[in-house]
Amino acid sequence: MPPTAHAAAPAAAPPAALPQGSPVPNRPITLFINGHDHVVMVEDRTTLLDALRERLHLTGTKKGCDQGQCGACTVHLDGQRVLACLTLARQAEGSAIATIEGLAGADGTLHAVQAAFLAEDAFQCGFCTPGQIMSAVACIREGHAGSEAEIREYMSGNLCRCGAYPHIVAAVQRAAAALPSEASS
Amino acid sequence: MSPLDISPQRGDAGDGIGGRPPRIDGLAKIRGEAAYAMDQPVEGLAHAVLVTATIAAGWVRGIDRTAAEAAPGVLLVLTPGNTPPLHAASTWTGEAPPTSEYRPLEPEIRHVGQQIALVVAESLEQATEAATLLRVDYEAAPFLADFTVPDAGEGQDLPPLTIERGDADTALASADIRISAEYGTPREYNVPIEPHGLTARWDGDALTLWEPSQWLDGMARNYAEWFGIGFEQVRLISPYIGGGFGSKALALPHGAIAAQAARMLGRPVKLVLTRPQTFTAFGGRAATRQLLELGADADGHLLAIRHRGWQETSRNGLWVEPLNAATALMYEVPHLSSRQRVVPVNTVTPSAKRAPGENPSAFALECAMDELAYALGQDPLALRLRNEPGRDPHSGKLWSSRRMREAYAAGADSFGWARRNPTPGAMRDGPLRLGWGMAAGTYPVRRSAGEAMVRILADGGVEVASSTSDMGTGAYTILAQTAASVFGLPLARVRVTLGDSTLPRAPVSGGSQMAGLMTGAVDKAARAAREELIGLALNDPRSPLRGVANTLAVAEGRLIAPRGEAPPLPIAELLTAIGRDRVEALRDTLAENGLKPEDRYRAFTTVSTMRAPTDGEYSMHSWCAHFVELAVDEALGSVRLRRIVTAFDAGLLYNPRLAESQIKGGIVMGIGQALLEGGIVDRRHARVLNNNLADYLLPTHADIPPIEVISVGEPDPHASALGGKGVGELGIVGLAAAIANAVFHATGKRVRDLPITLADLC
Repeated sequence: MPPTAHAAAPAAAPPAALPQGSPVPNRPITLFINGHDHVVMVEDRTTLLDALRERLHLTGTKKGCDQGQCGACTVHLDGQRVLACLTLARQAEGSAIATIEGLAGADGTLHAVQAAFLAEDAFQCGFCTPGQIMSAVACIREGHAGSEAEIREYMSGNLCRCGAYPHIVAAVQRAAAALPSEASS
Repeated sequence: MSPLDISPQRGDAGDGIGGRPPRIDGLAKIRGEAAYAMDQPVEGLAHAVLVTATIAAGWVRGIDRTAAEAAPGVLLVLTPGNTPPLHAASTWTGEAPPTSEYRPLEPEIRHVGQQIALVVAESLEQATEAATLLRVDYEAAPFLADFTVPDAGEGQDLPPLTIERGDADTALASADIRISAEYGTPREYNVPIEPHGLTARWDGDALTLWEPSQWLDGMARNYAEWFGIGFEQVRLISPYIGGGFGSKALALPHGAIAAQAARMLGRPVKLVLTRPQTFTAFGGRAATRQLLELGADADGHLLAIRHRGWQETSRNGLWVEPLNAATALMYEVPHLSSRQRVVPVNTVTPSAKRAPGENPSAFALECAMDELAYALGQDPLALRLRNEPGRDPHSGKLWSSRRMREAYAAGADSFGWARRNPTPGAMRDGPLRLGWGMAAGTYPVRRSAGEAMVRILADGGVEVASSTSDMGTGAYTILAQTAASVFGLPLARVRVTLGDSTLPRAPVSGGSQMAGLMTGAVDKAARAAREELIGLALNDPRSPLRGVANTLAVAEGRLIAPRGEAPPLPIAELLTAIGRDRVEALRDTLAENGLKPEDRYRAFTTVSTMRAPTDGEYSMHSWCAHFVELAVDEALGSVRLRRIVTAFDAGLLYNPRLAESQIKGGIVMGIGQALLEGGIVDRRHARVLNNNLADYLLPTHADIPPIEVISVGEPDPHASALGGKGVGELGIVGLAAAIANAVFHATGKRVRDLPITLADLC
């Protein structure tokens, strides 16, 4: 859809849309996830989160609110953290998508952030954890892990109801110290 | 005892009980491999979306399904008009249902958000769209939005909660110092980050459910009764739970309709509540109000407490939040009068949220104690110490253990409480006013029977199995530690399987009882398996150790003759020699809880056999003391926490690393309760306005200060087999009061209604 479609629509009438109840075409797209191409059938309205979870069975990425409020679905798109529930699957075409399943090395070696979460007991139920970890990896890479206060600020998009926050902050600090090159880049 | 005498942590016991190993389920969780209920791949899945009422009271006259049914991919649209009833199920307390039928989709509406239809389609997107196409014709009726509206009235008395000890009215009248104040807490929501949901699949008359559950056997019983099938025909699978905090213990209406749709369709159905629906599909903590009058002599000895409580419930269900749970036992009080009333309004039936009863009870009591301290001109901690009871003032029984003085001492010492200037507003940091507040908390030791299977494998490893569940409590890890202790094995050699209702039975993981009862059951089964193994080694004709020794020990996967009569024999070699591939023991702790074998089903599928904290010779509770520093910017009315120190007595900690995490988690939830959380009711429509995570504010990283937790507990042999008391709920109890008291210390403003917001302080 051209980007001007909405702007061009008259204020009184919504932009042309399919009538409610019309068939919505399922089309194949190719998503590049954790270093591999995946062909997946999606509707235009399918979110990246539902494509990952329901269609590709990559269920490590969690749905906590489906409204962009909790951070549980955080993944990386070309290295940037995004909320998969607010990203349409088609928007992610052509980008490198990274999810929690691809974070450890091919030989199973944990990423420094994963190892730090385990060492600091930075989770309890574990449901928000993939999102926290993906956020933490980006937080360190962005150079926002310089102090406890900075980590808290830049991790505040990821809710944890078990209240593991102090341990998550400690884990991010520990991982940042183990990843000096990333932190300074 | 001075705080210096108190060891803040138990010694490192390696992989056994009392050690601090990391969570054994942690690797799966940090890799994204832990399959929660909604992650389970099920062949042929159809997706369901729930439709809920937009009025608070009245009737659904009809629902036009035409457009929805014609929408692409739609498989089934269920409404009150086309959904056959199920059987009514008995209650979680084991009482028979009042009616024979249960209708998961009822035409009568009693609250906004009540489920009225279910749309099932091939894809989630299709079901979501079709759900918007239903046309509902309502007949609205008058409603009560909440318990503050005048028509809600005073509600009904709850006689079982009445306490009349001595003569409170007379004692209050003669007290030197009296305070009287009213405290309120709003509707609070559990808000686990994993929303409620399930996948239901029928294979003939057998029902398999993948659903997060704090109580697999209780929920399986409920489903079996709803659908008129045997308990053994229901299999509930819940290996991981994305948080519950009390909200995932019971089968709920959305589960009933999803399972019914699956049966009608002949296909597995997956239904996940939307985040807004999680505010109305089940209840959180009831809104409460408490009127407290405290009377003391001039020295600060409490003479009397007069307590009156009110709480909300729904129009069609009774939930009791016992508001005097802490009031009646925290302090030495000769005269106590306590009554509670429950006010039905048009809301979903409230339910259990972390420390139901103790939490609001302690909020009011611990704020009132602070107010009394100021009225007396005494230090709030000194006032508490002056009224520390030698035995349970309510039951008259001795405490099994109450290391409250040690908790006060350790907490105050680490916090530096002695440096506090008591004058409100006197402590400053530049333009900020600092507040130092403290409060105490408690949670009872609840006990139920448990059951576990422990299996020694041919390779010398050990398996533990039970239907209990781990929602972040650390069950996997502490049960592995229990077995590791008995067999002298490293944790890596113990495998724990939980969260499947076909496994040995377990009662509800609630009331902070799981760790105590399940470590007891696993310990018993492990010892039985070990005894059997040793018996085989001593007596089996093929055993290399037969006739060599009279007794044997087991350590590091080997059988060891105590006086070196034979070299240590690996368990694996013994099993090979005697032609066994395993030795196993299934044990329950019914007898230890005064139950008979015929009580087994009832004991694990209802709470009717759960024992009170005063059942037996002692009164048994966990204890804690919170110390809080915060800063108030009076120009902005903002409150920023600076640090929290909590010292607690929960007996022996099976794994201090995990217990400390759970206490901190309770503290964080208490911070939310104090400063952020509360359902906002639009009284024009009886709707909770902030039914999402942007408007119902949970604490975030940025809200949480450094938190120090200090265990002062000693093993309590009366409380549980291995000496622990409850941990899960303790940390939240009293925390909100400590914050409210700190806000008073900073500002001189006494805020008695939670949450404390900018509006209260500007």
